[in-house]
Amino acid sequence: MKSHCRWLLAIGLPVATLLAAGPSLLTRDLVTALFFMFIFVTLAANYDILGGFLGYVNLGQGAFFGLAGYTTFILIVKVTAVQQLDPVLIRPVAVLASVLVTLAFAWIFSYPLFRLQGAYFAIGTFGLVMLLSQLALNLPSVTGGAHGLYIPKPLYLSLNAVYYFGLILMAGSLALNGVLHQTKMGLALKAIRESELSAAATGIHIFKYKRRALVLSSIPSGLAGCIFVLYAGYIDPDTVLGHDKTLLPVVIAMLGGSGQLFGPIVGGVIFRGIDVALKNYLLLPIPALGIYGLILMGLGLFMPKGILNRVSKKHKE
Amino acid sequence: MSLQIMFDLIMSGLCLGGIYALMAFSLSISLSTTRVLNIAHGGFLILGAALAMLLTRYAEIPLLYALPIFLFSWVVLGYLFEIVVVRPLIGKSPEDVLIGSILITFGFTMAMDAFLSFYWAKFVDPTPTFSLTYRLPPLRLLGYTISGTRTFIVCFAAALILGFHCLLKYTGFGKAARAISEDAEGALITGLNPQGIAVKVYICAVLTAAMAGAFYVLLNPLAPYASFHLTLIALTIIVIGGVGSLPGALVGGVVLGLAEVMTAFFISPAWSPMTYLLIFFLVLVIKKEGLMGGAR
Repeated sequence: MKSHCRWLLAIGLPVATLLAAGPSLLTRDLVTALFFMFIFVTLAANYDILGGFLGYVNLGQGAFFGLAGYTTFILIVKVTAVQQLDPVLIRPVAVLASVLVTLAFAWIFSYPLFRLQGAYFAIGTFGLVMLLSQLALNLPSVTGGAHGLYIPKPLYLSLNAVYYFGLILMAGSLALNGVLHQTKMGLALKAIRESELSAAATGIHIFKYKRRALVLSSIPSGLAGCIFVLYAGYIDPDTVLGHDKTLLPVVIAMLGGSGQLFGPIVGGVIFRGIDVALKNYLLLPIPALGIYGLILMGLGLFMPKGILNRVSKKHKE
Repeated sequence: MSLQIMFDLIMSGLCLGGIYALMAFSLSISLSTTRVLNIAHGGFLILGAALAMLLTRYAEIPLLYALPIFLFSWVVLGYLFEIVVVRPLIGKSPEDVLIGSILITFGFTMAMDAFLSFYWAKFVDPTPTFSLTYRLPPLRLLGYTISGTRTFIVCFAAALILGFHCLLKYTGFGKAARAISEDAEGALITGLNPQGIAVKVYICAVLTAAMAGAFYVLLNPLAPYASFHLTLIALTIIVIGGVGSLPGALVGGVVLGLAEVMTAFFISPAWSPMTYLLIFFLVLVIKKEGLMGGAR
């Protein structure tokens, strides 16, 4: 395992340098593709706090993404108190407020959600996304309904800015998972994954740790949502609460290997690679979502533990 | 508000509720016997509707021939679905079954939705929505008129549910399926063949879902991407009624059907998808085993 880490470091450092120099070296298309990858790796890493450590399948990671995005836009477009702020302060204030809202949302919904286990938890979290997207569609006076909301052009974030924000966010999320691997909280979550009953018997307050994990996983996802919408300049239910935002984090985390620190990166690189290849180079008469679906199916049938778990298992043997 | 409107609303609610109950129960029995969470279940309603529409509207096959073709293709598809998707999962540990079933059936649904809407738009109709019309003359009862089609759907749903009840209660297959869902290991010891039962359960479940889909589009049109919604509705009903419980599915289905119709009438149709989500979270807060109790 130690040599494994050293190898990753040896590959990781040059890659990190390259990524940091990214926007000045690469074409605009590639920078955009990388930015999307950062966002999805962030979401996948956040998903892995519940999925990998706790063993709970959270199909609602996109709910935090969408909620934070919507809150940012509603604050900027609809709330006059925010609009009257100094132009420099508008975005930070809106982002901060939306992260707080997302955090509170995760805190509140941890009560009904953690009454569920296994398949029911997965469905409950998926219901959360559906709930938000229905609300966004049905409250046009607040959310703009199906048409969505637009912010004024000066408030857009440039591609270079979001690229670095995304990179920092992704590194931060991975670091968060790395820290969790080392700390008592991560250990407690893993103990709950193995057996809730025996974890409770050793004195771990199960619900408290579960709630903390959910709240922790909501923060970077919320930030990712804010950055994404500030770059896009508009928001509608499909862009931020669509099935892809909900599904891809799970797929990416599982493709890479759930519970592995670098799982989200491996999954993210492969998945975005396929996406870019499908959309820009291979023009097949097949819908891209269909291919995602088939990949997901093949993954579940042949490699349900993901690439890194398979590699490390072979390594041990 | 006149009594006639109230009557119509209740009839529509019952109709939708009957369809929901069929959809939920067929999912619930496949969940309780194999522990595989089939997210593709709602997709089978849509495929069922699409096939029914293709056969009757576009190929213009008379109903007498279309019905056997429809039933036969769903038996075959249910069989294939069990072989390809469900069988690899049986016998694994509960966590592996859960994660595997979510990955596989979610992927299956996504692919199915995408291919269906893409090729339907390409070859059949550029704006894919599924709907059927099959008008029956209205009935008259105590001075009120009742839609004939709705009465037909309610009767048919009731007959299917009754059939399900008898199948589970009195036949050897039904008893075996119930035994496996109560205690899989114990059932194995008595010499039951779980694979043979799983195949039959999935054929029943897929066939019922497809029929429910064909009935659904007699009432409301369906979009090709609605399969996740339908699955979630079915799961809400299961949460309300308890896993593997037929009366629970019936009560849950009717409650949801009535709530949806009433919301659409009194508030706005846009809010009706909201009702089942609210009921879903409400039930979770109040009682996690479902209102009617039940397994797990």
